[in-house]
Amino acid sequence: MPKLKNSQIAALTLLALPVLVYLALYLAPLASIGRLSVDNGALSQRFPALSARFGETEAPDDAAAAALLTDLKAMARTERAEAGRLFNQELGGMRSLIIDTGGAATQIEPTLSALTAFDPRWGEPAIWEVVRRNVEPITWRHFQRATGLKPSAEGGFEMSPGDDVYLRILLRTFVIGLQVTALTLLIGYPLAYAAATGSRRVQAVVLMAVLLSFWTSLLVRTTAWVVLLQTNGLLNGLLMWLNLIPEPLQLIFNRFGAVVAMTHVLLPFAILPMINVMRTIPAAQTQASRSLGAGPVESFLRVYFPQSLRGVAVGGGTVFILALGFYVTPALTGGPGDQMLSYYIADFVRRGLNWGMAAVLSIFLLVCVVALLVSGALLRRAFGWSRSSAASGGTG
Amino acid sequence: MSKVVYWVSLSFAFFFLAAPLLIVLPLAFNDSSFLTYPMEGFTFRWFGVFFDTPPWLSSLANSFKVALGTTLAALLIGGLAAMGVMLLGRWGRIVMSALFVSPLVIPSVVLGVAMAYAFGRAGWGGGYLSLVFAHTILAAPLVFLAVTTSLMGLDPELDRAAASMGASRWRRFHTVTLPLAMPGFATGALFAFITSFDEVVVALFLSTPQTQTLPITLFSSLRDRLEPTIVVVALLLSIVSCLFILALNRLQRRGAGR
Repeated sequence: MPKLKNSQIAALTLLALPVLVYLALYLAPLASIGRLSVDNGALSQRFPALSARFGETEAPDDAAAAALLTDLKAMARTERAEAGRLFNQELGGMRSLIIDTGGAATQIEPTLSALTAFDPRWGEPAIWEVVRRNVEPITWRHFQRATGLKPSAEGGFEMSPGDDVYLRILLRTFVIGLQVTALTLLIGYPLAYAAATGSRRVQAVVLMAVLLSFWTSLLVRTTAWVVLLQTNGLLNGLLMWLNLIPEPLQLIFNRFGAVVAMTHVLLPFAILPMINVMRTIPAAQTQASRSLGAGPVESFLRVYFPQSLRGVAVGGGTVFILALGFYVTPALTGGPGDQMLSYYIADFVRRGLNWGMAAVLSIFLLVCVVALLVSGALLRRAFGWSRSSAASGGTG
Repeated sequence: MSKVVYWVSLSFAFFFLAAPLLIVLPLAFNDSSFLTYPMEGFTFRWFGVFFDTPPWLSSLANSFKVALGTTLAALLIGGLAAMGVMLLGRWGRIVMSALFVSPLVIPSVVLGVAMAYAFGRAGWGGGYLSLVFAHTILAAPLVFLAVTTSLMGLDPELDRAAASMGASRWRRFHTVTLPLAMPGFATGALFAFITSFDEVVVALFLSTPQTQTLPITLFSSLRDRLEPTIVVVALLLSIVSCLFILALNRLQRRGAGR
C-alpha cells in the first residue's frame, strides 16, 4: 500500500516540529513538577556515599561514619561550608559540626567511635536523624506537609491538630468553586433562555453582551469590580445616596467581593453551553404542552426545564473546573481568608522560592481538575449526551 | 406573574453582566483623581499620564512584541499540528488531538510554576523568549482547533478533483487545501494574539521588570493603589478586545458567504 505509507510520512513530517515543541516547552516542564515534588534539595546530591549507605540501613554505624567521612573528604571547603549552612537551617549548631568534622576528615578513623571521640555530638541520634533526612535522594516531606499526614510510630499515618492547613485550603477552594457555580447558573439561566427563545432583537442584544464579556480580558473585568466595590467606590456611593445604608459597607477583600467578581468573570462560560442546548429544544413541544392545558409554569417546569438540564450540567461543570484554578480575580478582590489553592502555589514560588511545596500543591490541583474532567466525560457517556453540543464552551 | 419573574430576573442578570464595564470605563475621562460619579468634567489627561509615566508605555510595547511573536509561533505549531493530525487514522487522531488541545485545561498557575522552573533551568529565564514560548503553548491549541475546524469543513471532492487532473500532493496542498483553509489560519491568528495579549498568570511567573507586559503592570498597580490611569488601561484593553471581535465577525461572515 504505497499510498498509505506516503500519507504516514507526510503526517510524521508535519507533526515532528509540533510534537518536539510540545515535548520541550510543555510536557517536560510539567514532568519537572513531579520531580520537584519529591526533590530533597541540594544536600541530597552532595552526599552520594552516605545516601547509598542509608539506602541499605538507617542505623548510624561504622559504615555510615565511613561514608560520611568519604563524602566530606570529596568536597571542597566552600562546598562543606554551603552544606553546613543548609544543615544549620534544619538544626542549629550543625554548621560548625559539619565544617569542623570536614576539616579534620582525613585524620579521623572511619569508625563511629572515632567520630564520636572527635565530637561527642556524633553520638546523638537526633543529629543523625537530621543528616539522614537531608541526604536522601527523594523526600515525602512536601507531601506530608501538604496533607498534614505524618508516618506514625505504629506504621500508619497520624495527623496532629492544625496540620491540615492545605487540606482546609483545598476544601475552601471547592466551596468557593461551588458558590460561584451556583450563582453563575442562577444568573446565567435567564440570559441563556432569552438568547435562545427571545425575540430576534432580545436574542441579538443578549448574545452580543455575552460575547463581549467573554472576550474582554479577565483582568479588565476584575478591575471594574475593584473600582465598583471599594469602600469609597461606586456601589457604596449609590447605596448611601439611596439612604439604604448609613455608612460604607466592606464589599471587597472578603468572600462577597471574591465570589461576585468571579461569578461575573465566569458567567459567559455557563451561558454559552446553555444557549447551545436550549436552541435544540423545539418550541413546538412547549406549545403542544400549553395546548394540552398546562399553564406556563407547569409547561416550563415539566417540558422545557428537564431538557435544558444538559446545558446546565455542561455550563456548571465548565465553570466549576475553571473556578478551581482561579488566581487573579480572588487575589485582587478577596481577603486573606478567601484565597484559593492557586494563590498559595504562586506564593510559594514568588515569595519563598519553595518549589517543592508549589509542586505538591500543583499536583493536588491538577489531580482535581483531571478527575473532574474524566468524571464529566463518563457522566456524559452514561447519559448518552453527544459531544458536539457540549464541546463548544471554550470557543464561543 | 411568571412573565414578571422572567423579566425581573432577566433584567437583573443583564445588568449584572453588562453594567460593570459600562459604568466603570467612562471614568477614564473623569476630570478628578477619584474614581467616582458624578463626573467632574471631561478630560484626556489620564491618557497623557499613561503615555508619560513608565512603565505603562514600555509594557504596552512589550505586550505587542510578545503577542506578535506568539501569533507567528502558534500559527506555525498549531497549523502544522492540525494539518498533520488530519492525515492520521482514527486513534492517532484522537490521541494527538488530545495532546495538542490539553494545555487549555491545565490550570494556568500550574503551567506557570512548571515553565518558570524548567525555563529557568534551561537558561531562558525572564526574557522575551520565555514569554513567547509559554504563550505559544497557551495559544497553539486555539490555532489547532480553528484550523482543524476549517480543514474538516473542506469538501474532499475538491482534493480528489485536483488529483484526478494530475496535481501532485504538494501542489494540491498549496493550491487547493491551503487557500481554502486560510480563514481557519486567520481565526487562529486572532485567537493567538488576544490570548497572549491578555494573559496574566503565566506572565506573572516569567516576566521581569524589563519584559513585563501590560496586564502585569495593571495587576501590580491594582494591588498597589487605584488611580484613573488604571481605568485608562482597562479601556485600552477593552478596545483591543472589541477590535478583535469585529475582526472575528468579519472573518466569520466572509466564511459564511463563501
